[in-house]
Amino acid sequence: MKGVGAVAEHPKLQGVYSPEEAAQAAREGTVEPLTINLGPQHPSTHGVLRVITTLDGETVLKADPDIGYLHRNWEKIVESWHYPQIVPFSDRNDYLSAIFNEWLVCRAVEEAMGIELTERAQVLRTVFAELNRLVSHQMWFGTYAMDIGAFTPFLYALRDREWAYDLFEKATGARQLYAYFRIGGLRNDVSDAWVQELRDYLDYFEREAYPAYMDLLYNNEIFRVRSEGVGVVPKEVAIAYGASGPMLRASGVRHDIRRVERYGVYDRCDFDIPVGKNGDNLDRATVRMKEMIESIKIIRQCLDMLPEGEVFSPKTPRVIKVPEGDWYVRVESPRGEIGLWLVSTGGLQPYRMKWRAPSFVNLQLLNYMTRGEKIADLIASLGTIDIILGEVDR
Amino acid sequence: MSLVQQLARTAATMAKGHLVTLRELFRKPMTIHYPDEPVPHPVGFRSIPVLKVNEESGKLNCTACGLCARSCPPAIIFVESFIGEDGRRKQWPAKFDLDLSRCMVCNLCVEACPFDALEMSEDAELSAYTIEDLYFTMDELAALWKTSRSVRIAGGQKV
Repeated sequence: MKGVGAVAEHPKLQGVYSPEEAAQAAREGTVEPLTINLGPQHPSTHGVLRVITTLDGETVLKADPDIGYLHRNWEKIVESWHYPQIVPFSDRNDYLSAIFNEWLVCRAVEEAMGIELTERAQVLRTVFAELNRLVSHQMWFGTYAMDIGAFTPFLYALRDREWAYDLFEKATGARQLYAYFRIGGLRNDVSDAWVQELRDYLDYFEREAYPAYMDLLYNNEIFRVRSEGVGVVPKEVAIAYGASGPMLRASGVRHDIRRVERYGVYDRCDFDIPVGKNGDNLDRATVRMKEMIESIKIIRQCLDMLPEGEVFSPKTPRVIKVPEGDWYVRVESPRGEIGLWLVSTGGLQPYRMKWRAPSFVNLQLLNYMTRGEKIADLIASLGTIDIILGEVDR
Repeated sequence: MSLVQQLARTAATMAKGHLVTLRELFRKPMTIHYPDEPVPHPVGFRSIPVLKVNEESGKLNCTACGLCARSCPPAIIFVESFIGEDGRRKQWPAKFDLDLSRCMVCNLCVEACPFDALEMSEDAELSAYTIEDLYFTMDELAALWKTSRSVRIAGGQKV
């Protein structure tokens, strides 16, 4: 069969098919690769992703992600928009962690214009970002459990997410697409009652929800056996593919933009960066589970140091005009490094805005991860990449 | 690990997981039967920008300056000033339309308004069968302001 020989040269297929075996099987017709579409309307693809899979029985020979079903032309549209207008539209990229997109656009423009944020705005931005990371990882936990066939954790994850979304709703006025950050600060301040409720939520999550997650799924023997050694991405491969976020850290690379770049108040917070060892599904799950606890730690420290004051920088000019030049800024989102390359020729609108989407880069690894594994593990591996199709397609 | 050990561990961890679900049996269910039970929104919930009516004069605060239309990212606000019989522009709108089907509910129009004429309504039950029904005219927006709670959150106040 055409293509089997090339597939067999892949290192992970050694032992599944040697080139000779593949050639012989193709001659005899005992191997019959079957091409099957997974998606785009499939609940386990986390949106509208189509994976063209070539199977031999249950073994995946090739998994080819076909993207673009949610393409909205973000990069071109924003070229005709003013800078403050871009901020709410950037929410729609990574819709499960919208705060990070806003932060990225705001940071790019603030860096270009040299706007200094007030202390309270900086701390609150970090609080909102980490709360959003917590919520996003909860959602990942639920959907990953669904992907590997456990339905109950999904309901628990959504139950706990609800309170966090209520907190977002109280502060920002929306549950998912916040439109909360403004160039120069935040749209509105939060009250002390809100801060107290956030503390209550963190206590609840740490004491009740998180141990329940561990008991329900993470410590479960079936889950561990099912995830261990599946979808392995070695360190070198992860780096070569440009993976970022938990995907990279699970492979053993201690790389986090929160440490690499100076933004927010992360440099004043004490937190760990969890890393994995083998880069399999279990490691990626471990990294994300530990990151939830780290996020809680960061939020608590931020709330302790939350100063009084304005949330909007009084020196922000009324008309946002970016000088000529180009800037690349990046932010650590729950999915990895989001980068924005802002090119300006001066004026009210950007000349070019390139969005580096972490899901888009991480998704390329799907083919590597799943070759030679079973089709059910393909779904599981796809779940640990934690893709957001809004961001993949932009 | 032998098969027996693994089976024992599986059984133990499964039992632990079931304990979690068992605990849930004695708790209050958190389901809200939404259309039958109302879900309260917090102050400042954003659903649709509406036109504020001056309570003394009964007229709109809007002066048809068009700043909201210019600040709108998808350009869905259509404002025209009233032209009087003398052919001059008046300080009130002849047309103020809003296409909710394309609205991002970003609050930028409310922030741009210098006359306190726009507020964000929290009436979220605006779904309709056709897209044309999501096209709101001036009078409809003013009527929405009267029937629902609306606030203007802009400029860093505490919420």
